Amino acid sequence: MPAYKLTYFNARGRAEPIRLLFAAAGIKYEDVRIEGADWPALKPKTPMGHLPILEVDGTTLCESTTIARFVAKRAGMVGKDDLEEAKADMIVDGVKEVFRKLLTMFFEKDESKKEELKKDVFENTLPECLRSFGKLANPSGYFVGDSLSWADVEFYNLMEMVRPSFPGDLLKDNANLSKVIANVGGNPAIAKWIKERPESAF
Amino acid sequence: MPSYKLTYFKHWGRAGVLRLLFAAGGIEFEDVRIEREQWPELKPKTPMGQIPILEVDGTIICQTKAIGRLIAKEAGLAGKTPLEAAQVDMIVDGLSDLQVKIVDFFIEKDEKKKQEKIKEFAEKTLPMFLDTYEKLANSSGHFVGDALTWADVDFFSLMFFLKDHLPNDPLKGHVNLTKVRDNVTSNPGIAAWMEKETSH
Repeated sequence: MPAYKLTYFNARGRAEPIRLLFAAAGIKYEDVRIEGADWPALKPKTPMGHLPILEVDGTTLCESTTIARFVAKRAGMVGKDDLEEAKADMIVDGVKEVFRKLLTMFFEKDESKKEELKKDVFENTLPECLRSFGKLANPSGYFVGDSLSWADVEFYNLMEMVRPSFPGDLLKDNANLSKVIANVGGNPAIAKWIKERPESAF
Repeated sequence: MPSYKLTYFKHWGRAGVLRLLFAAGGIEFEDVRIEREQWPELKPKTPMGQIPILEVDGTIICQTKAIGRLIAKEAGLAGKTPLEAAQVDMIVDGLSDLQVKIVDFFIEKDEKKKQEKIKEFAEKTLPMFLDTYEKLANSSGHFVGDALTWADVDFFSLMFFLKDHLPNDPLKGHVNLTKVRDNVTSNPGIAAWMEKETSH
């Protein structure tokens, strides 16, 4: 019985970076995907009323970034000292800011407001993020040190989320970030997971 | 000990908790507070066009929570084991979620809409949040284990920020959370810092 039990909906959503990290680290875990109808019964049993949750060592953790960091630490993918860990943390926090703007855009029901939000993401949010991040990644394609960290994985996952709404090569003039994508996508364990993972709409 | 230089605006805002963490840990730092007019010149020199930033021996870290975690580790306030560290992180992440809702009413320019948003926050959002957090804090007034952590300090910092925007004490009736606040304010480093900050 694996020591880790991840619970989320049948979606990539907020849980996918965690699954990518488990795959990269070769750590076995129970990948529980619940139906929407089962959520109301489970909700009061979670620490803060949302998913994903990770059950480990008799404790339940929530908050996707916290869980991802915890798994990354177990996998030795957070950086080699406190300062490198802080650098990885700041990249992931930056990723989360863009993620939040994407979600606001996805969930906007008013069509004309949605178009405005989409325009703002495409003309402002994404270019600014990619410009900053391009300077923070190194020429070997890593945000921290010289090996794969969870910062690289979180950025890769963000670009996967962005692509359906903003097709085209957003990284074509960004050599460092293109290398980050190549490093994550080319990791054999991650590539295998991406090929074999359950299909889901988002 | 590395050299620390924190840069932010003068007000409590996002950096208030960071200054508290330095104080709780008895860690010296350069507390740079800039005027609004200085920001446009500084902005392009920051990693993501935002402050606060923390310069540590020449490296610049941005993002409030990344900075907070680094200082908390230095101050011994980040949890004693990896699992405790994760429990601290999740409390802090939950506070971030609330902060997003606070920023939403804070930056609302339409005065009528702003008052509506504050009302919704004070009457629904915040009480629901505090009910959840009351269960996550223990009866000795800590979110994780039995000693002060960044989770407690971050919670206090957000409540301190909110108190000027709400008519009543939101922690009334929340026994555990009131103890968390008491534990934070009675930390010697924090008590001395708050005395300095709030006496003008």
